[in-house]
Amino acid sequence: MLEVGADPIQFSDVHCSISGREILKGITLRVMRGEIMGILGRNGAGKTTLLSLISGLRSQGSGTITVLGASLPSHEAEFRRRMGFVLQEDALYQELTVLENLEFSASLYEVQQARERILEVLDVLGLSDRENQVVSTLSGGLKRRTAIARAFLHDPDLFIIDEPTLGVDADARHAVWAYLRLLKSRKKTVVVATNYLDEALALCDRVAVLETGRILAVEEPRELVRRTGSCIDVECDEPTAQKIASGLIEVKQVIRAEVTLSGVSLFLARGARPDEVMGQFSRYGSIEGFRLRAPDLSEVFKSFGQRP
Amino acid sequence: MSQTPRALVAGMKAELRRLRRSRLLLALVLVQAVTFILLVTLFGLTGAFAPTIVVNNDHGPQAQILINALQNDHHSFSLTFMDNATMAKQLVVKGDYVALIVIPAGFSQGIAAGNTVPVSVFIDNINTDMTSDIERAVPSAILSFGEVNGFGGISTTVAETDLYPHDTSFIDYMVASALVLDTLIIAGTLSALSVAEEFESKTAKMLAVSPVHPLVPLVGRIMATAAVSAGAIAATVFIALFSYGIMPDFPLEMLSILVFCVVIFSCVGAALGAIMKKSLPVAMLVLGIALPLFLFSGSYEPQRFDGNLIWLASHFSPEYYAVGLMEHAVFNLTVTPEPLMILALTLVGFGAGALALARFFSGRGFL
Repeated sequence: MLEVGADPIQFSDVHCSISGREILKGITLRVMRGEIMGILGRNGAGKTTLLSLISGLRSQGSGTITVLGASLPSHEAEFRRRMGFVLQEDALYQELTVLENLEFSASLYEVQQARERILEVLDVLGLSDRENQVVSTLSGGLKRRTAIARAFLHDPDLFIIDEPTLGVDADARHAVWAYLRLLKSRKKTVVVATNYLDEALALCDRVAVLETGRILAVEEPRELVRRTGSCIDVECDEPTAQKIASGLIEVKQVIRAEVTLSGVSLFLARGARPDEVMGQFSRYGSIEGFRLRAPDLSEVFKSFGQRP
Repeated sequence: MSQTPRALVAGMKAELRRLRRSRLLLALVLVQAVTFILLVTLFGLTGAFAPTIVVNNDHGPQAQILINALQNDHHSFSLTFMDNATMAKQLVVKGDYVALIVIPAGFSQGIAAGNTVPVSVFIDNINTDMTSDIERAVPSAILSFGEVNGFGGISTTVAETDLYPHDTSFIDYMVASALVLDTLIIAGTLSALSVAEEFESKTAKMLAVSPVHPLVPLVGRIMATAAVSAGAIAATVFIALFSYGIMPDFPLEMLSILVFCVVIFSCVGAALGAIMKKSLPVAMLVLGIALPLFLFSGSYEPQRFDGNLIWLASHFSPEYYAVGLMEHAVFNLTVTPEPLMILALTLVGFGAGALALARFFSGRGFL
């Protein structure tokens, strides 16, 4: 059983190899109860392998892992009942309806008053009007929501989700985020693997930055942005974009400028003040608008001295 | 209900719902069951009852005796009667018939007078198999004809002692063993597909992180495919009974063996599905191994037609044991040296071994 006050997930110097290739190299990590922990990394960084270890789908080569008080690998049914897992793939029965998929899962996890619980989860995830729709006919976003509904059906203490918004539209993305925030409000522990920094910013209390099987840093997302700097997307015509790019790259706060289809993106140095940069736009022509946003992942890795 | 039976029932329910929405697959399963039993017996059917025209220019009593002898020659001729030999010959040339037998005018009179009367036979010798059948069958019919007439020169007596109290038609024998082949293909393919799809759709991973062992809901799914397979096999049994006219000596035993085989072969399919993890290759594999194993199993005849090596190899196939049980149930034949109980127990062993393999290969280490 989970000890009171103990961290739900503890990794200590964990190594894991697949087909002779070392995927995780000495991971040490603690995830606290009731927090949303982001695992941020590019494709192939080892995010999915890390989640597979937590879920018990894989075993570590060396090191110790404790999840919900159990030393892994653990095959205890009670341990599995306290965990909800959403794979990168939706892993739904395509020929069954949304309701039938959830009923099947409810049977495996012995969900009490299954029908009521299913309707409640469907309602929270905005799937009430889709319960009798066959999964193969759903959009990507709705399938993702169904997969999340299935993982939360048995009200787990620990919720693991791999790429929550991979391939879903903006509406579905916000619905998934809202749901994960709801889990946090219910003191559930959530581990999210993503390669979108804005997703980590929007959701996570802390982020572990993973690169080629090593954790580069574990910190709050805003600290990550502060370390990396922010980005301004400027909407303007192409001649103005060219002028802004060539003019502002000389300014020390701007470390990179990229002309885009809609204007220009300016990547600011760590500690730079965006308002000072924005005040200079008028020198190069008129602009149609701008947006301050988090930098992309390549900037994050650059800030850690990694290749962009 | 405790967790394991609940997961078992959930798996079965999910599979039945899935199959209910796959009507084309169900229809094709039924078609496959029927076509395979026809395919296996086609060999015997095409080799028997050579379509033959008889032109009877005599119409006397001896001609009728000869025609009766031809008709009674076991599995040899399917006779059609015509008056015009020229037109009949054209039909043979065209390929509609294999042979033409012309009974000349004055045949009965000549035989009654003790003369030798030539009967002309025109054969489409496009392949030696059919030609040889005709060449053997005509003298055989003439022998019968001679016995009816009491011709001293050709009368024969055979001191025959039969192993079995009844003869069994070759085609009937094959139909009984073909039911076993059908069961392996239908039950094996359906369960193999069901299990392989779990891996293809990654739902096996979701089963692996659930509180029950993945095999439990998989067994539930296999139970559902076995029920559907049993339905398809029932259609082939119907054909065997009412189209081929086979009346089993032990009907209840036959039905029990078929249900037993559906269960065992479903387990074999599940093991193959868990090992292969891909639906298309595993479907091809089941089809690919079912036919050779069927032929090796002595399904065409009880004799060890190719020597002991193949017969020994056939012991590795569950079809060998199933055919042995089926031939006993349908025709009261003993076609294997092993007693029935050993055959049944060996099949149970195949089923248990297959389930153990399915359990191993659906474990968390193979996802």
